[in-house]
Amino acid sequence: MTEFLHPAGVYLVGAALVGIAPGRLRVPLLLLVPASALALGVALPDGHWLSGRFLGEEISVLRVDRLSFVFGLVFLIMGGLGTVFALHVKERGPHVTAFAYVGAALGVVFAGDLLTLFVFWELMAVASTLLILQRRAKRALAAGFRYLLVHAFGGASLLAGILLQWTAGEGLAFDAMALTGSTALILLGFAINAAIPPLHAWLTDAYPEATVTGSVFLSAFTTKAAVYVLARGFPGVELLVWAGAVMALYGVVFAVLENDIRRLLAYHIVSQVGYMVCGVGLGTGLAISGAAAHAFSHILYKGLLFMSTGAVLHVTGRSKLTELGGLWRTMPVTLALYTVGAFSISGVPLFNGFVSKSLVVAAAEGEHRAAVEWMLLLASVGTFLHTGLKLPVFTFFAEDRGIRGREPGWNMLLAMGLAAFLCIGIGVAPGALYALLPFPVDYRPYTARHVLTTLQLLLGTGVAFMLLVRHLGGEPTVTLDTDWVYRRGGRLVVGLAEAWAGGSARMLAGLTRERDRLSALIAAAGRRPPLPVGYWLLISLGLLSALILVIVL
Amino acid sequence: MLRRLVGAAFVLSVGGELLLAATDAWVPWWHRAPAFHAVYGVVGCVLIVVVSKALGKVWLQRPEGRDD
Repeated sequence: MTEFLHPAGVYLVGAALVGIAPGRLRVPLLLLVPASALALGVALPDGHWLSGRFLGEEISVLRVDRLSFVFGLVFLIMGGLGTVFALHVKERGPHVTAFAYVGAALGVVFAGDLLTLFVFWELMAVASTLLILQRRAKRALAAGFRYLLVHAFGGASLLAGILLQWTAGEGLAFDAMALTGSTALILLGFAINAAIPPLHAWLTDAYPEATVTGSVFLSAFTTKAAVYVLARGFPGVELLVWAGAVMALYGVVFAVLENDIRRLLAYHIVSQVGYMVCGVGLGTGLAISGAAAHAFSHILYKGLLFMSTGAVLHVTGRSKLTELGGLWRTMPVTLALYTVGAFSISGVPLFNGFVSKSLVVAAAEGEHRAAVEWMLLLASVGTFLHTGLKLPVFTFFAEDRGIRGREPGWNMLLAMGLAAFLCIGIGVAPGALYALLPFPVDYRPYTARHVLTTLQLLLGTGVAFMLLVRHLGGEPTVTLDTDWVYRRGGRLVVGLAEAWAGGSARMLAGLTRERDRLSALIAAAGRRPPLPVGYWLLISLGLLSALILVIVL
Repeated sequence: MLRRLVGAAFVLSVGGELLLAATDAWVPWWHRAPAFHAVYGVVGCVLIVVVSKALGKVWLQRPEGRDD
């Protein structure tokens, strides 16, 4: 029976119900929808379900196997945690949008064909854009529209690739693809959502501008859905190995310069997704399982980190290191929960990042990819430097700026507590996570050497931090990134369009004057009446069309 | 106090590594070299900070409100 129901459908119907239900049903619905979707998702049997034929091709809306299940499961867990975190929000819009977003992301990971994938992919782009726009601040609106434009481009690339595949007789099945001209377009669409530099700036531009609760959802789904589709469609593509290793370092380099705590964490999404993309590129069973395991861990600890920093923003109204400090006195529980997230992302033993990140590093080592392994280890250093040391030191300790915070509401603390529990639980007993992975994992993270060398790496980072701490505080600056190209490019396009529109208006005015002059001459000659306005309009449109053709060609 | 704790943990982790029997000789040399990861942590951290700060000062950082 469960195979006829789709967890995405539960969230999408739930979104509609939350939108129309009376206010007193809001909280019950908000709890019921994630709970029932999770119960349904856990019970789904393997196989292709909700299948049929469309345009002569086999369509499968619900494909359940080990790869889609592990991603789907963590999406369902995070959907619940994010909803509990946002329970205090009384407006309907954010909940409707968040449910639509979670539903779309679930639709992506369970899609058995490229057409279904595209439909949910685009729904995910629209819903996530609305999550950003809901903050309604000027910067959020601007970032939201930039986000939409980038994702529209990515979606167009994906659609073009799918159509080329289909017209070439390759069908619409969504399985591992050889890299060709048409699949390269599909890969480009996936790479944009995975935030692979230089296509990543939409993430660090937009995520920190969303609402406190919106960023928690955003941090979880789009990039990890992209990791899933890369693992499904392009495992073992060498380009992804290097793209991932560069990503891992790119994020930590930019995080050094960042003053906004949520943007700093956004750069670490880029970095951590780099491990996953690298694992997909390595393509071995251990590497793909490592990518999936790290996605699972990442969603939990990154959600927790965005919840904790969101709580700081929620109660203080501040998110910049230069404006924060001394909050440990008034927000000790938030600090403790943040620390769990920070230790998890940094790969401290007994936390989930330790047992998942090391799968990817071990896979690189197993393939004798020394340079890649060193790059990933260096990214670990940068991760602990920022999220484990710099951010908490300058937010919760350092200079007391007289901010009197308070702990956030019970629902926010509950969501953070549950996420922290899962981070520690997986870190202490990794077998439960390893048993879910797409390929069997014969790996022991808790060897004496692994634990000791990891501690050395972290302690070495700590020593360097103590030496450099005076240079690591926030600075009241912004950092240019690759979004500069379309920020500037956008202004150039608008400027050209305005100039063109101005030129067209002047041309039309000139033509009108010519018409009046010629009509006057003709009328004076007494041979014809003045030409009708429509006639001159046609001439004008013809000239404009010719001009457009010249520009286009 | 904190510095002493970190220092003690640092020494313990390096010492513990030295005590490990070389039964896992198949691992690459950098996993067997004593204190390699500690040194890599210190040097790597300094490298990340120096390179990032240099890039920021020379090229990437702008005053707040100027994002182009």
